[in-house]
Amino acid sequence: MNQLLTKRKKLKLESDSGWGYAFIAVALIAFSLFTAYPVINAFIISLQKYRPLGSTYVGLENFVNSFSDELFWKALKNTLVYTLLTVPFNILLSFLVAILIMPFKKKTQTIFKAVYYLPAVASGVSLAVVWLWIFDPLKSGIANQAVGLFGISNQNWLGSSATAMFSLVLMSWLSSHGTAIIIYLAALLSIDNSYYEAADIDGATFLQKLRYIVIPFLKPTTLFLLITGVIGSFQVFQNAYLMTGGGPDHATTMVGLLIFNNAFTYFEFGEAAAQSLLLAAVIALISFFQFKILGKDIEY
Amino acid sequence: MKKRKGLTLLLSAIMMMSLLSACGGKANNTAGSANSGNTDSSGAGKDTITALLPPVSANYQARFADMEKEFNALHPNLTLKIEPASWEDMTQKLDTQVNAGSPPDIAWIGASGLSKYAALDVLIDLNPVLSDEVKVDYDEVPMKYFQLGDAQYGLPAYMEIHTIGGNKQFLEEAGIDWKSIQQNGWTYDEFRKAIAKGVVKNDKGETSRYGFVFATSGVTSKDYLGILAKTAGLPDYFDNDLKYTYTSKKFLGLLTAIREMIDDGSMPKELSSIDAGKRWNMFLTGQTMITGKGLSAFENSARLNNEKIKANDGSAVADSIQVDYISLPVPTFNGADYIPTSIVDGYVALRGKKEPSEEHIKNIALAVNFLSSGSIAANYSNELFLTPITESARKAEVLEQFPRNEDNVAAGKAMMAKALPARTDIPTEQAAEALKIETEVIIPKLQALLADEITPQEMYDAVKAAAVKSFGEDGVVAD
Repeated sequence: MNQLLTKRKKLKLESDSGWGYAFIAVALIAFSLFTAYPVINAFIISLQKYRPLGSTYVGLENFVNSFSDELFWKALKNTLVYTLLTVPFNILLSFLVAILIMPFKKKTQTIFKAVYYLPAVASGVSLAVVWLWIFDPLKSGIANQAVGLFGISNQNWLGSSATAMFSLVLMSWLSSHGTAIIIYLAALLSIDNSYYEAADIDGATFLQKLRYIVIPFLKPTTLFLLITGVIGSFQVFQNAYLMTGGGPDHATTMVGLLIFNNAFTYFEFGEAAAQSLLLAAVIALISFFQFKILGKDIEY
Repeated sequence: MKKRKGLTLLLSAIMMMSLLSACGGKANNTAGSANSGNTDSSGAGKDTITALLPPVSANYQARFADMEKEFNALHPNLTLKIEPASWEDMTQKLDTQVNAGSPPDIAWIGASGLSKYAALDVLIDLNPVLSDEVKVDYDEVPMKYFQLGDAQYGLPAYMEIHTIGGNKQFLEEAGIDWKSIQQNGWTYDEFRKAIAKGVVKNDKGETSRYGFVFATSGVTSKDYLGILAKTAGLPDYFDNDLKYTYTSKKFLGLLTAIREMIDDGSMPKELSSIDAGKRWNMFLTGQTMITGKGLSAFENSARLNNEKIKANDGSAVADSIQVDYISLPVPTFNGADYIPTSIVDGYVALRGKKEPSEEHIKNIALAVNFLSSGSIAANYSNELFLTPITESARKAEVLEQFPRNEDNVAAGKAMMAKALPARTDIPTEQAAEALKIETEVIIPKLQALLADEITPQEMYDAVKAAAVKSFGEDGVVAD
């Protein structure tokens, strides 16, 4: 009898495994088609002088060209600066906003969440148009009117090397943390209330609760936001393309924009593919070290 | 439970099938679906020609259905399928299709983009299939813009001269004899004095009107430099010996002039951030006396805005004033001759991975000529305030008449008469290298020059270094 039951269980398990594999296959095929295939194809193209009607194999020439191209290094540096200036600040700001929203009732929280999330839903192009208006170089510009209140003369926000990068950074600071706030709020709500109650009994202050309860519990969330933020920031393209075109004098040329120009302005798809792979390698390396350094004492 | 699993799997399979069909699905008879390649085997001589076209003039795309019917009536065995594209996505759409090896048979491009597609070997030479009757219909200068070497890769749709545009009232207040300038042109020194007179300051000493505002933000800076360079003795990136010309001292002189106009206060110090929309807004709101670049159609735009102001129509440009638009030639620099910047746009013939048959190429040529001549060309030229460039279009009747400023019409003809044909002798590799210097060095450095971050000499040196690196010491002009 027992043997029969074991056999039935085994059969059921095998049958369930079959269903499991079938479901996994769907995701696997989608991944192969839309992620693995493009990556492999990009690698193949990176070894070619790509032409739509007949490419020629050039080996590692595209990679060598990229390494010896000053502009590639400048673009990489610009992207790194942009990342360093935007990602930590955006995480900090999102965290602070989430902490400020937390004490409100659920309905009020929802209103705040919706308001902060709105820019994430809006088209990036529309946002860029609004920011172009804000950074209008003449007196009519909102940013110039704002600095004018402090007696500062008109700034050529996007047209000057001194302010162009800062303008893009400011745009990122003020318009791209809705998603992080929602994630932080979800993480904050998942912290069991008993920790706060115990802290209250011990007479802990707000800052002590923040230091010993909130921050340790939110560490996995912070690491997730940091890694995804860095990846997103390294791939920045749209704002530089729409707001400055990479100028002036390449002060805001990011790697994403450089890749786009190589592909669609010069039709140098081989070089663009090589630079894409190099960018992917840089991002992977940074993500690896982030996990190594920051992920050590995280318990999931 | 089993039923639910089965249903879920079925839905997943349907999702995958739809994804795959969307991804790999062939054709659906749109222009984007590829070059038809050969005549349809289902009917002898039947063929479909696809075209990707932007909104050339206000009513151009609205007439597509009529154009398709008319073409079919002229050639019953042929079908013309036109896919509309916006100006914003025209190039990107075309480039994506070209790179996938499945472009439309016909696409609208600016003649300056010819070498880019020629380098990819996707253009079709129409010379062998164009009849002499067709060829003589076109004016020689614009026709050359669609040639490279001996190949005729398409046909021109129109030719436009880039001018600058003045506010008649402000010009007269500043004592500028605009009629004489329209007829005789002006030098940079005369221009510099004139735009200085156009500057108006308010009680606080702030400039409320500039003498000259040109759109120079981002890639529009390329227009600014290119247009001025033509009249500064640098009509092309290469001279007749195929030496790169922007290393000439004439280029340094031009850069110095560009900086001077800002330093004089005749142009805004924030010029590097002013885009095309902003400079036109500044013109209509009286914040500048002269604006660039000028196009013939701007006369109509200004006229329409004037009518809205008169009718108290809320859609008039905010704070705009009545403006009579005056077409003016670009001043000449370095004592050079006046050579207008001609913009020739038109239709190019393309091929994909599938080699088109001779019959199909003939049909493409028929369709290209149909689109770029006769009543179709007459109507879009008329809407753009341009003189048609084919005899058949000049003879054709137009659907609507517009009031024109006769002085502008005469000035336009005078400028057009000085237009030079395009260079057809520059090798595509060399042209591609010049394009790279333009994008990676000239435009970024010009932005820095306009923002007062580098000197004219520094920009000149950077361009010269890049040119020598690309073409060698012997491949550049040294004077």
